[in-house]
Amino acid sequence: MQHHRDSSEGFRGPLEETAFPETLSARVVTPGMEPRIHGYDVEGDLALHYGATELLFLSLTGEIPRGDSATLLEVALAFFAPVSVAHASTHAAVLARLCGASTSTTIGTAAIGLGEQARVLLDEHEALLAWLEQPTAMFPESYRTNGADERASIERLLAALAHGGVAVPALRHGPTRSAALVCVLHAAGLTRREQMEAVIVVARLPAAIAEAFRETVANFRTYPTNLPLFRYEES
Amino acid sequence: MTLPALVVPTRSAHWGWDEHRYFGHKVFEELAGHESFMGLTALSVLGRRLSPECCAVLEDAANTLTMADPRIWPLKLTRVVASYGGTVAAAAAGLLVEEGAQIGPWACGRAAAVLVAMHAEIDGRSDDAGHVRDVVVHYLERHAFIWGFGTPFRPRDERLVAFARCMRAKGRDTLPHYRTMEAVARAVRELRRAEPNIVWALAATCLDMGLDVREIGPIATTLMQHMFFAAAVEGARQAPEILRELPEAYVSYVGREARTSPRKEIAG
Repeated sequence: MQHHRDSSEGFRGPLEETAFPETLSARVVTPGMEPRIHGYDVEGDLALHYGATELLFLSLTGEIPRGDSATLLEVALAFFAPVSVAHASTHAAVLARLCGASTSTTIGTAAIGLGEQARVLLDEHEALLAWLEQPTAMFPESYRTNGADERASIERLLAALAHGGVAVPALRHGPTRSAALVCVLHAAGLTRREQMEAVIVVARLPAAIAEAFRETVANFRTYPTNLPLFRYEES
Repeated sequence: MTLPALVVPTRSAHWGWDEHRYFGHKVFEELAGHESFMGLTALSVLGRRLSPECCAVLEDAANTLTMADPRIWPLKLTRVVASYGGTVAAAAAGLLVEEGAQIGPWACGRAAAVLVAMHAEIDGRSDDAGHVRDVVVHYLERHAFIWGFGTPFRPRDERLVAFARCMRAKGRDTLPHYRTMEAVARAVRELRRAEPNIVWALAATCLDMGLDVREIGPIATTLMQHMFFAAAVEGARQAPEILRELPEAYVSYVGREARTSPRKEIAG
């Protein structure tokens, strides 16, 4: 239903003269005490029969995972999860804690950092995302690795996938660790970039905030303030 | 073991014992008591000081940009977050969406990039309506959309009208990019029946002050941050329950119909 909203104070402007909907649209979660996600009863169905990974998949795609999707996503979540304090996203969360930020704003800082990190990662993998949509051409050369450490990580990824009884054909091209994980997400059915960004943030948030919570508030003397050394220059 | 220092150069600031440095200036000796808040803001974004005349132009911009109705979407977002009672978290959430957004101050940088390209093509012939029209037609053939145009929900942008009045009073309307801006606006109005908004004029004004395109999005954001604090401060003080959770009648579910999961069906 379209309605005009009147200003009782008599101030008029474009927002008083334009018709807007009267209600806010809920597209995923039903409001109220018996919530459903994409139509499935949360408390009487999903909570009894599905795990957190499956709920994550359902939330992002609108469908309960079928086939190998949940196993693929589960492995990808585990491999994405560790983001050490060496990374800016977790480092920022640690700094928030050091500054005495509240728990909520420490989590918020971590989420912003992880969102930015995921954005950059997927920016760097745009050509791979295009290839995954149409894998007819050669696998993009820039996403192959020659590093022994990365190859060892890929072997562990393959082993984890095999343990779950799943495989990802794209991994035979010898991708980098990050490229391999993007391939796994795609194989799981998370084909849209926004779905991948969301999953990467969700996977990494617990460890990042846990790292922050281990920092002591106002522990400035033992925090490496000159790492890195911001050297002031005047031109 | 002593590790080699990892070094990142900075021109922004240094913490000294009795005096601090900020972009090449002594904070207590040169800035305190001498520089305005707008000048300090410009220094922070640009890394260089702006003349008092240019700062006055930015003051005009900040004032005429002040359209802070809490129903305007980025500000409403701020209000919604502020309903939990946190001021800075709400302001930060509002500001967070500005970078790269299609509406808001970041569009000013994108409009500036368009204006720079058109200014080069127009090449000083902004009084030649036919030439300007050709340049705009050429642009419109390659782009469906011009940043800095469009005035949703009203026929013209009243902020632009007020800002243009300020620029005329300061004699800034005769400067090169401003003249190009007006000439292009005339051509777009004729070709597309689209009106420029304040972003278009602010982009021109910033370019005439010597700002680089990359500096314009950030400086425009600083000119609008007061509105986010207005929304955040009042919103956090009110922290209205009806905003924290809208009454059920005000939310319409339009998603998937109720269904039963395969596992529940099997379980009976």
